[in-house]
Amino acid sequence: MWRGFISILKKDFKLILSSKFFLLALGSLILYSCYINFVYVKLDQDIYPVYIYDPMNTHTRVSSEVTQVDTIEDLKEKYSDGYSVGIDASSIESEIVIVTSGITSTDNFRAAYALSLLSPESSYTVENIGQNDKEMKNRREITSEFLFFELAAVGFLGLASLIFKEKQMGVIRVHGILPVNKSAFIISKLCLFLLSDLVFTCLLSIINLGLSAGWNVLPVVFIQAGILSIIMALAGLYCAIRVPDFKQFSLLYLVLAIFITTPVFLAAQTNINWNWINYHPMYHLFMGMKNSYFSTPSVGSSYYLVCALAIVLLFLLVHRALTHEMAKEG
Amino acid sequence: MKGIKYQLKNIRRDKICIISFLLPVIVGLAINMLSGVSFSSLSETSFGIVKNDLSHKSVQWLQSNGSIAEFENVDELKASVLDPASEMIGVLRDENGIKTFLSGDELQINRIIGNTLPKLYAEREAVVASIIRVIPAANSNDGMKSLLIVITMVTAMFMGCTFNAMSMIGEKEDGIAFINEVLPMTRTDFIAQKVFLGFSGGVLATILTALTCIRVESGHIFLLLLIIILSAFISALAGLYIGHFANGLMGGITYIKILMILFLAPPIITYLVVPAGSTLHLLSYLLPSSATFYGLMDMLNGQVQNIEISIIALLVHCIVWLLLFFILENHRYKKSLV
Repeated sequence: MWRGFISILKKDFKLILSSKFFLLALGSLILYSCYINFVYVKLDQDIYPVYIYDPMNTHTRVSSEVTQVDTIEDLKEKYSDGYSVGIDASSIESEIVIVTSGITSTDNFRAAYALSLLSPESSYTVENIGQNDKEMKNRREITSEFLFFELAAVGFLGLASLIFKEKQMGVIRVHGILPVNKSAFIISKLCLFLLSDLVFTCLLSIINLGLSAGWNVLPVVFIQAGILSIIMALAGLYCAIRVPDFKQFSLLYLVLAIFITTPVFLAAQTNINWNWINYHPMYHLFMGMKNSYFSTPSVGSSYYLVCALAIVLLFLLVHRALTHEMAKEG
Repeated sequence: MKGIKYQLKNIRRDKICIISFLLPVIVGLAINMLSGVSFSSLSETSFGIVKNDLSHKSVQWLQSNGSIAEFENVDELKASVLDPASEMIGVLRDENGIKTFLSGDELQINRIIGNTLPKLYAEREAVVASIIRVIPAANSNDGMKSLLIVITMVTAMFMGCTFNAMSMIGEKEDGIAFINEVLPMTRTDFIAQKVFLGFSGGVLATILTALTCIRVESGHIFLLLLIIILSAFISALAGLYIGHFANGLMGGITYIKILMILFLAPPIITYLVVPAGSTLHLLSYLLPSSATFYGLMDMLNGQVQNIEISIIALLVHCIVWLLLFFILENHRYKKSLV
């Protein structure tokens, strides 16, 4: 039994190696890391620039945040971008000019902010109650997202491509008469994908969070990544056994990538309040992943219980489908 | 002509192609149905307050400057401010006005708003007394919405590569590629057919998407068509490259995935982050999708004076990509003779 399992493991490893799955994972790792380090970390939005046209020097205590322009045309050109605020101080009473942003409250704030820069600055600074700075938050956030996407979509696809290859080669038919347990057939694949996913998780976290921060979150992240990896691999296995060819499967994959993961990102990333998202199983998996990156305690034992149940259920389903498929193949 | 008929017949059975054809159209419809309000609430500053803490007047003042979320107690408010997904600014009563707090990971703009809010609150009377002129925006299109529309349109155009790439890879897998070698069909005919396949798919999908979600002035329809045609042609060429290099379906899907990320992400980022006219902005024209993206964005904003640059860039891309492909083909042909 044990020897049989080892040889299946070896065969699966060789198959994965030949399907260039690792190459794809490495490519994704490089692509994601480059994007995070060179682009995402630097994303920010600055406060509205304020420009003043003040030929008579009416305002003497203007904040250093305000830029002086020399002509009224210059001022007009500056505020026409729809983001900046212009102050026209050429007449007796200064006039604040803005191009509307389409939101009344934002317009009000822009005007009030520009006006406040004309009087002496206050020394008030906002109190910070969190531990992350902007960069670290960005890193944690985007890393958890990429990891979720990679584990949810790519693992699913990779396992399926493996199964289709085996179907084509007739491996499933051969397995029907081999004295090897069907569970071994499933578990060997799960083990390999779990292992490769965990290595991926480890590399992605350490490269993008830094060694110490990455190392600190890894134990918790590993649990979430493991759960997600096993669930997605089992789902991929089930779909691949049931669906007749790879083309139809890739359709399923597209639906998964777009209609299942996109709402999850939208709900978790922005402040949109959707009540129905609580019924979306992937949402909880994603939040588990994200919270583990932010080291915020979130889920109770019921979450793990449901995950364990889902894994057992999926395993039984795959086992049944495989038995059925082998019987069909003769 | 007959060849093209067969190609179209063949592609009709391919479910990936049908989905990638319909997807942008469906997304376009969805964007159209979402009202502008749901987008604008995203870019509003959000303040978090505690019930019965601030006076009624202060709450009204906050409401005129952003959106408000009310919480039962300070702990709930703190939890919501700490939530990494939120950009919420916590506002509490102070002895002479209000005080603010943040989690410290917010955008620069919200940190400054947090710093200045108490001062603004103290000076709120001055704002009422001052003269404020609000100029209506030139275009009524919501910024976020037009960005989404342009992303959908660019996706639709460059999805065209899926049609011919998938068809070529399918032929390779089924062994039809070998049969093609002995059929009385020249290499140029084959390329023309495959380009037409991707091109027509891309153009059709984009026009359908455009019908569902874009409103441009009638004078600009010709320009829009020109951009669509040029971009779809480049996309068809890209499909040709993918079909040429990919050996299996899995590889093909990977290449398409990488191509779509490469074509979609940089233009969006350069558009949002890099100021127009800088070197980086100019460099971004090396990707054809950037030219399409900027052109469409200008068109939606009603500024077409710079659109020639996009069209010229697209034209150059068409010629360069086509030439490169012929060189590649020629090279392969010579190699097969040896």
